[in-house]
Amino acid sequence: MSAEATARPHTTPWRRLAADRIARWVVSAGGLAIIVSILGILVFILVEVAPLLTAARVTVDRKIPLAGAAPGALLSDEHRTHVAALGAEGRVRVIRLSDGQTVATRDLLAEPAELVDLQVPPESSALAASTRDGRVVIAPVTFQITFDAQNRVVSPEISEPVVLEVDPLGRPLQSFAAQIDEEGSATTAAALADGTITVVRRSVTHNEMTGETGEETVRTSAPVSYRVTHLALDADQKNLYGGTAGGEILWWHLEEGQIGPVQAASAGTAPITALALLIGGRSLVVGQGNGTLSVWMPVSKAEDADAASGDERLTRIRDFPPQSGAIRLISPSPRRKGFLALSDRELGLYHSTSHRTLWTGPSPLPGARALGTSPKDDGAFLAGHGTLASLALRNPHPETTWRTLFGKVWYEGYDHADHVWQSTGGSDDFEPKLSLTPLLFGTLKGTLYSLILAIPLGVFGAMYVSQFMHPGYKRYVKPLVEIMASLPSVVLGFLAGLWLAPRIEHAVPSLLLALFVLPVLVLLTGAAWNRLPRTFRGRFPAGTEAFLFVVVLALGIWLCFSLRQPFEHLAFAGDFRSWLLHAVGLSYDQRNALVVGLAMGFAVIPIIFAIAEDAFTNVPQNLVAGSLALGADRWQTVTRVVLPTASPGIFSAVMVGFGRAVGETMIVLMATGNTPIMDWNPFNGFRTLSANIAVEIPEAPHGDTLYRTLFLAALLLFVLTFLVNTVAELVRQRLRERYSQL
Amino acid sequence: MTADTLQPQRDPALEPEIKDPIILRVEALSLWYGEKKALKEISLKIPEKQITAFIGPSGCGKSTLLRCINRLNDLIDGVRVEGDIVFNGASIFDPRIEINALRKRIGMVFQKSNPFPKSIYENVAYGPRIQGIKRKRDLDEIVEKSLKGAALWDEVKDRLDESALGMSGGQQQRLCIARAIAVEPEVILFDEPCSALDPIATARIEELMQDLKSQYTQVIVTHNMQQASRVSDLTAFLYLGELIEYGPTERIFINPMKKQTEDYITGRFG
Repeated sequence: MSAEATARPHTTPWRRLAADRIARWVVSAGGLAIIVSILGILVFILVEVAPLLTAARVTVDRKIPLAGAAPGALLSDEHRTHVAALGAEGRVRVIRLSDGQTVATRDLLAEPAELVDLQVPPESSALAASTRDGRVVIAPVTFQITFDAQNRVVSPEISEPVVLEVDPLGRPLQSFAAQIDEEGSATTAAALADGTITVVRRSVTHNEMTGETGEETVRTSAPVSYRVTHLALDADQKNLYGGTAGGEILWWHLEEGQIGPVQAASAGTAPITALALLIGGRSLVVGQGNGTLSVWMPVSKAEDADAASGDERLTRIRDFPPQSGAIRLISPSPRRKGFLALSDRELGLYHSTSHRTLWTGPSPLPGARALGTSPKDDGAFLAGHGTLASLALRNPHPETTWRTLFGKVWYEGYDHADHVWQSTGGSDDFEPKLSLTPLLFGTLKGTLYSLILAIPLGVFGAMYVSQFMHPGYKRYVKPLVEIMASLPSVVLGFLAGLWLAPRIEHAVPSLLLALFVLPVLVLLTGAAWNRLPRTFRGRFPAGTEAFLFVVVLALGIWLCFSLRQPFEHLAFAGDFRSWLLHAVGLSYDQRNALVVGLAMGFAVIPIIFAIAEDAFTNVPQNLVAGSLALGADRWQTVTRVVLPTASPGIFSAVMVGFGRAVGETMIVLMATGNTPIMDWNPFNGFRTLSANIAVEIPEAPHGDTLYRTLFLAALLLFVLTFLVNTVAELVRQRLRERYSQL
Repeated sequence: MTADTLQPQRDPALEPEIKDPIILRVEALSLWYGEKKALKEISLKIPEKQITAFIGPSGCGKSTLLRCINRLNDLIDGVRVEGDIVFNGASIFDPRIEINALRKRIGMVFQKSNPFPKSIYENVAYGPRIQGIKRKRDLDEIVEKSLKGAALWDEVKDRLDESALGMSGGQQQRLCIARAIAVEPEVILFDEPCSALDPIATARIEELMQDLKSQYTQVIVTHNMQQASRVSDLTAFLYLGELIEYGPTERIFINPMKKQTEDYITGRFG
């Protein structure tokens, strides 16, 4: 024997070593890649969600010395390059922020006049003021943007001011509010020294045919018993709000130039010192002499939301932490339901919907007399004591808090606080309602209704197949169920939404009938079969009796469907849907939880069945034999030994089915109607987290609060399925340990 | 059909003289697993309150024969039986017979201990509960009696509520015996009950079998010839599905009549 031959058995061939090592690397790399990609998805979602939590910041960009009288009203362009400031001497100055130069000026009135009350009308690009002799001046300011080669050129333009004579006797106005629309129609409301509220409306009509422009001025007055110190007029020029020195808030409707009856509400004894409408004109922010800040809305008294506006009452919705001194100025955001509030020494940034105090700090310009927010809500301006301060607001997601995501919020136009998902509306001043609770509810509702169907069918089906079915047929069942699992859910959703839903709509009475008829029929057949003589039964090959039940079930279903009309007539007064609405008070949607339960149940059954069947089959045969040897029959053995032993596996099956139902998208997207309502009614639709993401992500602007909230929904879904699957896996591990002892 | 008509002349190697009353009579029993004939016309008589051992090499059909006695072979797909087993004068294959009642009367202890994943108490109470005994007092009594009968009571009386899976292998097997005698069977079948146990645990089981002899007819299948010679009164030697020799244990082991028997017990094959 050569030396080489003897050495060979002690060394492993290098080929095998290399193959071994490569295989180990490939397997490890594959496993790691999966872990890394899942973590990567999680990190990506977290990165998208995290900005929702960033705190707002207010910083001073620059301070510019101002010439002339202290301005009382400020307007800026979209890019925060220029500010138009209106001073008490009646001159508008446009100041370039980059170098503090005044680039344009215009005197609003031909004669020198002293302005007493200066303001920016809400949701407008105009400056307004009242004069000492009882007039109101409104001057629209526009910033034209042109591009000169690569450079943006902003050219401010101050239009011809509208002057309205309010007090014919030329007395100073106690307070006023003004509005102007794009055509130049202007309205002003003022509290006059004679104790009336006077509304002057100048409408401009433009005749397309003749090219003529007509003007019409209407003046109405109504006496008022309160001393009105502040007024606010909404953008529609329909609602007028007032604040008094006694702490009352007043509300008038302006209809066709008429002043409606006044409605008063008390905000406490402290005088109202500032009044502003948030965009949309439904929320009124009230600042008082003691620093109190509150938000008020007209709320319908009646249950019916469509009630006439006459039934609405001005209601105090929420309070913000008070500032240390009297609130001097409130500047609503031109984009969102937020506002800035300024007292003598403090500045605060707030958001109404989320009830958040986003930022508070010392006023950068103590004693400032003018406050303005930039059109994009990314900056603010303060003026006073010969200085203009430009502030930068970093406030990307003021709408989101735990409360808005999961709690009840009192939204504009609602008569109570509620969970609502409504991400977009018809107009820009829409208040986004981003509560995830209805979506979580929808997810759980869909899951529940599908599991109600899938758990019994999956588990008992698995029990029957593994424990009772003739082994000859068993091997056909599993592949069939696997085919069921391989159906794409989009096909199921499509069938459920377009084919099943309209049929179910007519067949609900039959389904209800079947709920009672089929079990009874099956039990009767079983009992009858057992009564038949053994010799007769012996003629059928073992296991074929199962097919008898197929025939019986088919017969039962046919019976239920053919009995629909008499049954509907008898039980539901001829029409199930109207009976449901009138007798039970439930409405019926065509795409509802029942349809989803059937379709998603169909998708979940194979999963539950497969895992449960394994769990049943994995129960050691010697346990079954042990039980039978003690004189137990099959049923006793299955219920007392097999079922308890397989229960962790069945639990695991249910959990995996649950996880599947929670994450399912296409079926719920197509068969639920996607109405985000919270109602357990099986005949209503719902909207799930997953379907919501699918529906809304194409419309969500990148980086927007809605976009990030959708990612938060994804994170929630991720966490939910992760938890469910982890619990299922832990239970399966325990199950394995338990079996290893058997 | 009786054994006499099939085998007119009595073969002393197959038909020993038995004085005790016969409880089980296997008559020309043949069994097929599909096409394969696993048992070939086996006839033997098992006397009451004695221990009968089936020995033979692996695959000789001894376990199959044992499982025919309580009809556990019914569970296996494709099994076909000819011939008969008469238990207390009635055929166990009679279609009118309640198979569960038969299994209650003929208990079984398996090769691998198979306690249910329940408490010790529930394991023993399982059979009586199946029989419809519900009163806690009656069940307590049966559990105590059965555990005492299986010589397990003193070891487990303080932990009846603990899982049976926490017991040692020998204890588990005695628990299975306690579980079997809780339903008061007439016959207990042992299918290689000690093959997974250490010698000390084996000795305790064998001792227990001797104690049970006064009350129960016992049939044991074993690989271990020493065990057969130690515990049994009668021994049947099976080979390739055929009954080769059946007689008093002492005679089989000291003075076998057939050459195959002798070869097997002296260890020349098996």
